[in-house]
Amino acid sequence: MSGTLNRPPTTEAEDVHEDPDLTLQRIINAKLVESGEKELLKELLRERLIECGWSDEMKKHCLSFARKNGSNNVTLEDLINAITPKGRASVPDSVKEELLQRIRSFLA
Amino acid sequence: MSLSDDENDSMSLNSQLPAHLFGDLLDSIIIDVASECHRAARLGLDRNLELEEEEMRLSAEARAMVVDATNNGEVNGKYIVDIFGQTHPSIANDIFECMNCGQSIMAGRFAPHLEKCMGKGRKARLKARRSSRLAQNRSARGSSVSVHSQYSSTSQLSNNTPVRIMKKMNDFGERFSAEISKPIHLVNPLVP
Repeated sequence: MSGTLNRPPTTEAEDVHEDPDLTLQRIINAKLVESGEKELLKELLRERLIECGWSDEMKKHCLSFARKNGSNNVTLEDLINAITPKGRASVPDSVKEELLQRIRSFLA
Repeated sequence: MSLSDDENDSMSLNSQLPAHLFGDLLDSIIIDVASECHRAARLGLDRNLELEEEEMRLSAEARAMVVDATNNGEVNGKYIVDIFGQTHPSIANDIFECMNCGQSIMAGRFAPHLEKCMGKGRKARLKARRSSRLAQNRSARGSSVSVHSQYSSTSQLSNNTPVRIMKKMNDFGERFSAEISKPIHLVNPLVP
């Protein structure tokens, strides 16, 4: 499998101290991307979040944040940092469960 | 692909991994949304959106207000209020001249008037039929003038074309019947 993998070059130091968990994670991640499953999962998640109105909520939040801090010179990073905690917290449980289920079934 | 190789790690991984992966997916979607809004904010598009929302809200409010007023208006009388707040009577009351008979008619009553005027209504159609039937009978039997004049005076259709035609046919029928009722004088050219 490592033959098909295109990992970014890592330094010696990193390799030595790398967590086996992390390696496994990377492997699984790569597998996901390879098979196209990651893309599918992402689209599914996006769809569900739009359906339940999460996207609109996030957009409103973004725009109000931008307006408060001068919408002309707000940076992307600021925005991301502003809405990430709220975004992670406000995902409906049903959506989260559905995605987790699909991920687990893929890993199995 | 199975994770059963690593015993200790696999247990913790198995529970953490889906959540971790889900977090990854969520992060990338958040980034997408943020970049979209970032673009909108920088380009000033969010201002337009805001204005549009305001307008839609105001117009919805106005419409709701007018609907309430309209319900009251319709109950009150024949004046109803449309969505622009204009009032107009339920029956149009412009007055003009009918091009067929020359009477002055109210616009709201024009259609029924035309029906009667041009002979399309039930009564007018019956009258036309009756007059044509009568004309046929008269030309066949050769009735007198008095009946004909009596009929035409009772007719309400003064300038109606079918009646004019009927009149002509009546005249012809009369003249014809008058002719054939005259005694026939045979002229014998051979009699000296």
